[in-house]
Amino acid sequence: MTTDVDGSAQPPGPSAAPTVASPTTGEPVKLFSRQWFSGLLLRYSMVIVVLLVIAYFSYRSARFSTPDNLITILVAAAPFALIALGQTLVILTGGIDLSVGSVIAVSAMSAAATAKANPGQVYLTVLVAVLVGLAVGCVNGFLVSRINVPPFIATLGTLTAGSGLAYVIGGGAPINGLPAEFGSIANTKILGLQIPVLLMIVGIIALAIIMKRTTYGMRVYAVGGNRNAAEIAGINAKNVLFSVYAISGLLAGLSGVMLASRVISGPPNLGQGYELDAIAAVVIGGASLMGGRGSIWGTALGLFMIMTLNNGLDILVVPAYWQDVIKGVLIVAAVAVDVWSSRRRT
Amino acid sequence: MASAGVLGVALTACGAGDTTANKDTKRIGVTVYDMSSFITAGKEGMEAYAKDNNIELVWNSANLDVSTQASQIDSMVNQGVDAIIVVPIQADSLGPQVASAKAKGIPLVAVNAALNNPDVAASVQPDDVAAGEQEMQMMADRLQGKGNIVILQGPLGQSGELDRTKGINNVLAKYPDIKVLAKDTANWKRDEAVNKMKNWISGFGPQINAVVSENDDMGLGALQALKESGRTDVPIVGIDGIEDGLNAVKSGEFIGTSLQNGTVELSAGLAVANSLAKKEQVDTKPVYIMPAITKTNVDVAIQHVVTDRKKFLEGLSELTAQNLKTGDIAYEGIPGQKQP
Repeated sequence: MTTDVDGSAQPPGPSAAPTVASPTTGEPVKLFSRQWFSGLLLRYSMVIVVLLVIAYFSYRSARFSTPDNLITILVAAAPFALIALGQTLVILTGGIDLSVGSVIAVSAMSAAATAKANPGQVYLTVLVAVLVGLAVGCVNGFLVSRINVPPFIATLGTLTAGSGLAYVIGGGAPINGLPAEFGSIANTKILGLQIPVLLMIVGIIALAIIMKRTTYGMRVYAVGGNRNAAEIAGINAKNVLFSVYAISGLLAGLSGVMLASRVISGPPNLGQGYELDAIAAVVIGGASLMGGRGSIWGTALGLFMIMTLNNGLDILVVPAYWQDVIKGVLIVAAVAVDVWSSRRRT
Repeated sequence: MASAGVLGVALTACGAGDTTANKDTKRIGVTVYDMSSFITAGKEGMEAYAKDNNIELVWNSANLDVSTQASQIDSMVNQGVDAIIVVPIQADSLGPQVASAKAKGIPLVAVNAALNNPDVAASVQPDDVAAGEQEMQMMADRLQGKGNIVILQGPLGQSGELDRTKGINNVLAKYPDIKVLAKDTANWKRDEAVNKMKNWISGFGPQINAVVSENDDMGLGALQALKESGRTDVPIVGIDGIEDGLNAVKSGEFIGTSLQNGTVELSAGLAVANSLAKKEQVDTKPVYIMPAITKTNVDVAIQHVVTDRKKFLEGLSELTAQNLKTGDIAYEGIPGQKQP
């Protein structure tokens, strides 16, 4: 329900500014009028906040706005981006996937165990991690779509079971003493960028296209917007729901092996709490937890904001606990502005 | 009816498994803050000691959640175990649990991290202040008293972090030309340390001369961050002497570490708890003083911790009993340690 700002149909009078559609309500407003500005401000509020944050950090530290630092932010963001992408699909259907933190741990431990037992077989470790993630995702999908367990409960269950499973794999211990090649998964560069960063960029672009331009994407939005209407229109909602959880699990598995590879170790508590960052990114990006509203680019923006905050606050040596306060306040503010502006829209 | 029958058979089957236990077996409950590298290594030491001394261990991990740890202790008190060993998450916690254990006559021993509570029956602690001083002194010597450092801390408020930070500050006070560019927590974790260190590298760049990390895991994360930024000239010092940390000392990537041999320390804690459960006289406040590990003595440490580990564990009960008598619970024959 959004319209782009375009030129007006009627020829302008001698002293009147052209009339355009308001970016928020769609009603005709005068270009550059107060209503036009406030509409623009509300609709792109998150972009404006991100730009302000970047401006502030750049002002406080010359080293913030350097290409090297941008790479640092992107490399830190990559594993979070993968789970945030999966989480976007799930939240678009009106669900939630709380289990991604544990999926990261279990897949990382599986990959580490595989790497230790089969040194040199780098592709195998990635495959194992992805399959493990996919398996958990399928469990979630099955519970939600076939057994009709509410997503919060189902994924809470897999979160808990998964976190224990990660310890089982290592016999209660982290898996250390891994072969050095295991580090090549996260650290190899192609075209000057680390593999996880490339995966992030490719993933964002691919999913953005899929969600906006394919029938699959349309079905996801439809199921999230109004499941009954979607089913009446002939969409197999159960399959759609199953698929989004499977994809979320797969991406979390990939994220897990990337994280473990970067530090060349398999800690069983890896990824603990990461699901909250993923959900925050999606929500800051403008998605509704009720489903049907949101976008991949929005999530990418939300994630970029969180990662930039982490980076900038560390550069300014703001203690970790204050960073949590700031992030929490920003999440609430972002959602509040979004809810308020959408109420003005309808 | 059928399910009641099945349940009955299952319960008796469970009971039948207890034939190895006899009246002299002590049942000791353990709750740890998390299964970190250190704790997991230490568990093997406790199990070796338990096997040789007729002890049944009941293990619990609290996943860094204080209320979980409290519930675990409550449950152990209710089960009527002979002693409780706690590796606490927070120094100022578990007050009611300590009181209830004391009321029931169950000795509660704090091991490896302290509880600010006079009612604990015993406290087997590493001298974390000394460890912090030791690592900072190693780095000060390496920097020849001048340079900029960053400090990676443990979880804020845990006694390990509080004491190691105190030790580091004690030594820093003697070196006004060493400047602390930044210090913050990475919660003992490698992956958090990588990102924190990379952000500091972005912020301070070539100004960083050294990394002082309160444990090996975080130091290894910092090492990875430095490698990614192409900096190989930054000395790093850690604490704990985990396998990867010892290997880093051997390869020169760490300038040194302080060995906290979990098997030795935790088994000493178990020995004290066991003695209290048997109502024997024992030193209730032995202190584990971490030996400094550098390239000169790292090979012996690697033998005890990694390569000859099984042999070391076989001799552990005897070593622990001997150490309990001499009072030097950290002794394990590392060059540099004083022969008792």
